Amino acid sequence: MHITVLAKVVPDYEVPTADFELTDGRAHSRYTRMIGLYDENAIETGVQLKEAYGATLTIISYGKTQDVTVLRKAIAMGGDALHLVLGDADDPFVIAANLKMAIEQLGNVDLVLAGQQSADMDRGVVHSILAGMLDYPFLPQISTIKSEDGRWMVAQAHENGIRRLEFSGKGVLSITSSPKNVPRIPAVRSILAAKKKPVEKIDGIPGTPMPVAELSVEIPKMESVCEFLPLDDMAQTCKILLSKLREERYL
Amino acid sequence: MKALIVEVIDAKRIGELVTVGRIFGDTPDVVALGTGDIPGNYNKAYCSDAAVGSNLIDGLVELIQKEGYEVVLLSATTVGAEIAGPLSVRLGAPVLTEIIGAKSDMTVTRPIYGGKAMTTFKINQTPAILTVRRKYFESAIAEGTTTPVPLAGAAGAIRLVSEEAVVTEGIPLDDAEVIVSGGRGVGSGEKFTILRDLAGILNAAVGASRGAVDEGWAEPTMQIGQTGNIVAPSVYFAVGISGASQHLAGIANAKCVVAINKDEDANIFKRARFGIVEDYAKVVPALIQALQEEQ
Repeated sequence: MHITVLAKVVPDYEVPTADFELTDGRAHSRYTRMIGLYDENAIETGVQLKEAYGATLTIISYGKTQDVTVLRKAIAMGGDALHLVLGDADDPFVIAANLKMAIEQLGNVDLVLAGQQSADMDRGVVHSILAGMLDYPFLPQISTIKSEDGRWMVAQAHENGIRRLEFSGKGVLSITSSPKNVPRIPAVRSILAAKKKPVEKIDGIPGTPMPVAELSVEIPKMESVCEFLPLDDMAQTCKILLSKLREERYL
Repeated sequence: MKALIVEVIDAKRIGELVTVGRIFGDTPDVVALGTGDIPGNYNKAYCSDAAVGSNLIDGLVELIQKEGYEVVLLSATTVGAEIAGPLSVRLGAPVLTEIIGAKSDMTVTRPIYGGKAMTTFKINQTPAILTVRRKYFESAIAEGTTTPVPLAGAAGAIRLVSEEAVVTEGIPLDDAEVIVSGGRGVGSGEKFTILRDLAGILNAAVGASRGAVDEGWAEPTMQIGQTGNIVAPSVYFAVGISGASQHLAGIANAKCVVAINKDEDANIFKRARFGIVEDYAKVVPALIQALQEEQ
């Protein structure tokens, strides 16, 4: 069994709005680089599948050479190999075409896992375009995966609850967060060992971008002015809050 | 511009997409997932019993090409996520997901960086596929119903084995005028009980941040934020929630946010209308008491 996890390195997704700045329509380069949060859920899920079924786990990323140090965390968590396709496009069709090339080079991939959405572009679409390009079935928001008699049994965190789905053969799954796939913190020994792992670098291809023009990127202003309520007597504070909510017809 | 909605039979979800469709032209046609009549009047309406969106792709490709639809509208839900990407590849169509704004000249706006920035795109080719973030567009009022004709081609690789709907106690988040929501600051699953008590008195739904869901204190269906439920209540009580941009993206259209947090520097106070800087364990019981005294 060969499983690949797609991982993307992004600027710190916890930078608060007040500290967030753009240069040329993208996050300022001063923010710390890290693997996206859902991508880490996907890596954790991949490592669990490796542990359960003795699978081989290859991490694939599309991005820049300087992010290799960040991506090594995925190896420290339990990935066997790291393949980086070099490129800097944001277009989902271009990214997907490059990832497809890397997957086809590996040749024997059974299952492709990805984060539900990247922590910078917020669109949740690259993995499903990749599935379309590979002609594999695609399922989003998967929380658990099992292999039974050559079939994949998966649980999908649907808006209304949990759906249990099954399919045979290859597939692309996007992974959502659940208490069961909170990313493990790698041991120091694993981090040191991961530094020595060779990284397979692959030259990217141009691909065909979508016929869409990005006109502008803006940081919206938050205009709410918070009225802080007095704290001397909590019973009184709560009465004030309720009367204000009623006065302004919110309640 | 000829538009097609693909959505489960749900008056609000379809209604929001009708609103977006009307920005680009006339009332769109509809492919509805499920059985029964579709709320609203449509020139053409189709239905499919495909349980999984992925299995519907072949049928949709055929219909869109035959009828010449220029815009395909889905909501940014599980079904939308299942269909949008693979459909765009099959049609060679551009796809923009989670849009929160649209204009008749085919410019659309969508968030990036966890909602910290907004990007505007001009779409230069049709057909185009859009998924629309929920609660950002008014739901068009559906008059009457339309009886759909079945859409062929719902076979596919994926089989639905079972479905476990999570039964929400009390009011569903989608319909709630008041929401009481807890985050990591709540401290444990047991302590969510007091939020349920407050919600009970206020006739409110209970929500949670991603942090509280990851801890296992709240069901994933209760998650509010960019990747959870998008809500637009009249009052949103944020209890022990720091207010990361990804959470705020889920409450952008809440009318009044009340933040209860002991950290006065918490980002949530930048979005809140009213703030109480105090341990929620002191505030919430006092709030319950005040509400009970009123009754």
